[in-house]
Amino acid sequence: MRAAAAASVEAVAVIDLVDEPLDLESRAWLAELRATGEAHDAAVARLHALLLRAARFEVARRRSALPHLRGDELDDIALEAADDALVSVLRKLDDFRGASRFTTWAYKFALLEAAVKLRKRAWQAREIPLEPEAWHLVPGGAAPDEAAARSELVGAVRTAIATTLTPHQRRVLVALALNGVPIDVLADRLGTTRGALYKTLHDARRRLRTVLAEGGLDLEEIG
Amino acid sequence: MRNDQKLRALLGPAGPEVGCDECFDLLDRYVEAELAGRDADALLPGLGAHLAGCPACREEHESLRALVASDY
Repeated sequence: MRAAAAASVEAVAVIDLVDEPLDLESRAWLAELRATGEAHDAAVARLHALLLRAARFEVARRRSALPHLRGDELDDIALEAADDALVSVLRKLDDFRGASRFTTWAYKFALLEAAVKLRKRAWQAREIPLEPEAWHLVPGGAAPDEAAARSELVGAVRTAIATTLTPHQRRVLVALALNGVPIDVLADRLGTTRGALYKTLHDARRRLRTVLAEGGLDLEEIG
Repeated sequence: MRNDQKLRALLGPAGPEVGCDECFDLLDRYVEAELAGRDADALLPGLGAHLAGCPACREEHESLRALVASDY
């Protein structure tokens, strides 16, 4: 198979996904998951165990950020993530082309499900700061150890945010880049998708970079 | 966050980048290339830039890399 990469937020080199020869373990996973009867059921059970291990791995990594959740609540989240990931993996089984090991490919579904659920729990009772008042979080003056050029850049960014972005771009940029709202949490609250929201963020950033470059500001140190 | 961190978060990566959906599609391949010591950014252009600009995808990349590394 050769497939152009899915829609990018910006043109990048087209990536060819060429069928790779499957490693033996991945081949066995596919064969057993596509089998019928007991062999299929056993493979699905093994896959669920693999996904649960991945989900618990993610929960363990984020546990310190969720001190208000009990151990059994966290394990419920891991189990729910594994269940949802199992559905996704089985539904997308024909999309697996052997570009990685099957287990690596499957892991990412469980990690994503667990991460999304944990971020949502972390922000469940929190207000999402979207309002322009949050702009004050962009520092207005130079810190003692900052060069005057950096101070000028900070001021120019603040002005560009205020004057060149659309209200929607401004809200999304402030929430995601300044206030640390997770993108999937914001997407959920705004009734949109993570991909669409990142496109808005990307367009806002491009607009800021263009305006700043036109103003003769050096962005090299920022990257 | 210090000013430089805020500026990087506001301005994002300088180069071309993929989106979140494409990042997810390619992440397993990217991680295995990294762990094999290959140039993952050359293999999958735009993905590293996206990871620099998207905290959620970056977290998921770090988790997948750590989990797969633990299997090696």
